[in-house]
Amino acid sequence: MSVVECRFDASGYSIDAIQRAAYKFCDRFALEVTGDGQVFLCRLDFRSDVTDRSSIARSFKTEVLDQVLRERIRAETEGVRNVILAVAFSNAHLEPQ
Amino acid sequence: MIPLNGIATASTISRPLDRNLWLITSQAIDQAPADPPQTSRAYLVAENEQPPKGFGLYLTDSTQLALPEGLPAIRLPASLGYLTAGDVIRVSPDGRHIRVLWRHRSSQNSVLLTERCDNYCLMCSQPPRTRDDAWLLDEAHELLRLLPAATGDICFTGGEPALYGNDFVDLLRHCTRRLPDTEVHVLSNGRRFTDAAFADEYATINNPKLMIGIPIYGTESGLHDYIVQAPGAFNDTIRGILNLAERSQRVEIRVVLQKHTAPSIIRIAEFIARNLPFVDQVALMGLEPVGFARSNLPEVWIDPIDYQEDLADAALLLAGSGIRTFIYNHQLCVLDKRAWTFAVKSISDWKNEHDPICETCAALEACGGFFHSAQLIASSGIHALDLEDARHLTRSSTDSGRPSIWRAGIESKRVTR
Amino acid sequence: MPIRYQPADVDQTHAGWELLPIRFHRFDLSRVLLTNMVGEHLFVTGEDFDALMSGALPSDPQVRRDLAGKHLIRATGEDVPVELLAMKTRTRYRRLAEFTALHIFVATLRCEHTCQYCQVSRQSSANDRYDMSAETARRALEATFQSPSRAVKIEIQGGEPLLNFDLVRDIITEAQVMNVHHQKQLSFVIASNLALLDDTVLDFAAEHDVCFSTSLDGPADLHNTNRPRPGRDSWQRAIAGIGQVRDRLGPDRVSALMTTTAASLTRVRDIIDCYVEHDLRAIFLRPLSPYGFAARRARPTDDVAHWLAFYQEGLDYILELNAHGIPMVEHFAAIVLKKMLTNDDPGYVDLTSPAGIGIGALVYNYDGYVYASDEGRMLAEMGDTTFRLGNLHANTYTELMTSNALLEPLEMSFTHSAPMCSDCAFEPYCGADPVFHHATAGDFLARKPESAFCNRNMGIFELLLDRYHSDPQARQVFQRWANR
Repeated sequence: MSVVECRFDASGYSIDAIQRAAYKFCDRFALEVTGDGQVFLCRLDFRSDVTDRSSIARSFKTEVLDQVLRERIRAETEGVRNVILAVAFSNAHLEPQ
Repeated sequence: MIPLNGIATASTISRPLDRNLWLITSQAIDQAPADPPQTSRAYLVAENEQPPKGFGLYLTDSTQLALPEGLPAIRLPASLGYLTAGDVIRVSPDGRHIRVLWRHRSSQNSVLLTERCDNYCLMCSQPPRTRDDAWLLDEAHELLRLLPAATGDICFTGGEPALYGNDFVDLLRHCTRRLPDTEVHVLSNGRRFTDAAFADEYATINNPKLMIGIPIYGTESGLHDYIVQAPGAFNDTIRGILNLAERSQRVEIRVVLQKHTAPSIIRIAEFIARNLPFVDQVALMGLEPVGFARSNLPEVWIDPIDYQEDLADAALLLAGSGIRTFIYNHQLCVLDKRAWTFAVKSISDWKNEHDPICETCAALEACGGFFHSAQLIASSGIHALDLEDARHLTRSSTDSGRPSIWRAGIESKRVTR
Repeated sequence: MPIRYQPADVDQTHAGWELLPIRFHRFDLSRVLLTNMVGEHLFVTGEDFDALMSGALPSDPQVRRDLAGKHLIRATGEDVPVELLAMKTRTRYRRLAEFTALHIFVATLRCEHTCQYCQVSRQSSANDRYDMSAETARRALEATFQSPSRAVKIEIQGGEPLLNFDLVRDIITEAQVMNVHHQKQLSFVIASNLALLDDTVLDFAAEHDVCFSTSLDGPADLHNTNRPRPGRDSWQRAIAGIGQVRDRLGPDRVSALMTTTAASLTRVRDIIDCYVEHDLRAIFLRPLSPYGFAARRARPTDDVAHWLAFYQEGLDYILELNAHGIPMVEHFAAIVLKKMLTNDDPGYVDLTSPAGIGIGALVYNYDGYVYASDEGRMLAEMGDTTFRLGNLHANTYTELMTSNALLEPLEMSFTHSAPMCSDCAFEPYCGADPVFHHATAGDFLARKPESAFCNRNMGIFELLLDRYHSDPQARQVFQRWANR
């Protein structure tokens, strides 16, 4: 079977995190994901020439966790990031003279 | 160690002197038209000389038994026998106590403006006092009225001079007016300059020879604030530096190498190169074991040979980033040779001494020597350098970092596999 | 004397701490790489990273200090880190306002070589068809001087530009005349195979401060196989030409570029030795060119793995040479290290975001067509005019610089809005290459896991960071390269 399945609890994971994680593996599998509000069901459709599927699937799950962390970092730091950029470009003279 | 204080061994002073500061003059010096009036000058009488009348005070050296008759005169103690025309002294009203404020032959004269400070550094060589000493500021103004325009350098220090606020700026303006060609160095913690209005005021001095030396002791507030014993100091200092830079003011960063800063010196150098690359220069300084440094010795002392490699790495990193870098207050024998090119003879000559071990050292002339206070503690690595070592000195002073193999005709090396 | 504040007291006066914008990359089994908004980096252990992510500070005070000093965390509400990050960000993006430092003039397509990887040259000797006209050159110079950039490098290439030396001479002299008014810092490079170098050319170059750039693929057998010419002596002529330029103008006036082919991949030491033997002080270990590959690779990672092995062997050999006192520089590493270790911009058009097309370089073809990059011009020669901005004879400078052909790929390839790139810890060191991705994958962005550009760059970033932290000698060398 070229498909591996896994599930993620919707209370702990977002669809965004799952998709971002899947993107990193797009050279090895294509992701189909469905959700019913409680659970995300993922089907990893592997390329025919990919051999170590279970280990890649495991890496995928770890990557989803990392994407959740990135989501949290983005949320926590978005405010200060905008302030930094605003200060950085506040006197940038971007209008044509 | 050159003594700066002394007590007159004889005196003909009968009434209190009407001024504190005196510019010393003598027959060997031509009267320059810009000299302050005779009444502000103390005439140094030569052996058997009949001194001219009209000066406010007369000085004789310790060997002269007779004092000039009918003139206000004092005999200097032997310890102050080095005084010459051009020096400035403060004399107590009764003529007994003499303090040397300015030695014109020295290029490292330092003018103390206050002992008050809003930091409380663990290794402070001038421990802060809280009493009002604004009279020092007045005295500094008076000193400026006596100095010749040809003065090479002047350094204003404290405590924290910027505590005087606009009065401090006025002093610097006065200095700029009187001594427009003089290199002016100010030592400050920079904190007062977080006030943009004050930074603006400072910028109006507009003296291209003015530079402010500001210490940094870490890459973040934790270490720096601990070392200067003042929460909030790091952020104030950085903001002060940024305000000064925005107004195109010349800034030197100083880092004193002590037990807590030395292990982080490379990180501090990286921080400066990355965050404050616009500074005019960086001075990496050896510890002077006086004041708080002496009473906190176990907390602050580190043997320079324990950090010599890191210090060289840090200096090379800064210089590699295009920042002028100097190493002060280190003997050549305790510095990694890669750092010799940055070493400067920086110890004020009135504090400078040598260890007996140094008598046979081939690099004696080039070396900065020791603080007098180093008698208390000095590196275990002090040793006399030989001729081979000393030859490295000339190599390093012309060092451009490029090896010579690219000269035409030299065979390039092949590394065999 | 009582010490009033202990270090913990000072930390305690802050009302807690918070994260600054950071990105992370799981570097290996024991280390996590953290980078801040401007690319300053710090390695932390897995445990310390987990602590940070669960809202606790690592227990080691030195790690806490490093996190704060590198602007990865701050005391809550502390504004000095914000000001410093803003300043550094502004410095890094300074080049955007001063755009187009590199202007490439294609003086002719004529060439007497038939290099296997070249897509553009023509063998014809008929001048009028393949030479740039004086009028086109004049218009190209006018466009050049409209760039706000204070420093402008004019690079003249071809084909073989020395086949049209009269025009080359006119371009340079005319540029210098125009510069009297503009007062830009002008520099000139002629990209040539040096086979046709003579005294006329050298005299002119000496008088007008012109530099040369030439191809040297490695030892003679490798170079001549790649670059055939009548007489089979391309290598000999290149070496002779390098010597002539060096003797006449000085050692810093000629640089060599190598092109990497499949045959190069097992010969990196030979190639470097060739450079050392001929007193060339810098080498650019370039990637395999994707242009002209008939089939797009489905998974380029195998090719990338071979190339990375080539690169690593080359870099380690160069570090070995440096340890023996031979100061060879690897160009690509130097470019990346400048981005890693300083706030300065190396000005390399192929590794920057926003992309270097138009902003970093403009190409004026012999026929007046203007392209956003040299590779964009090559694609046009093969029938794909995606990166053609317009024509000097039909469009104004403003039309060229605001054309959709330029703006669309710039916007679409911008790393901060690209999937994966926007989260990538290496983003400050990397760049956008819409031309490469268009050529290999059919769109400006492509899918980064499938991108040789992405895989290769990540391999290099990891290699450089690893050497920087594991080898003190390499660290010193890297710092020197970063500050060039």
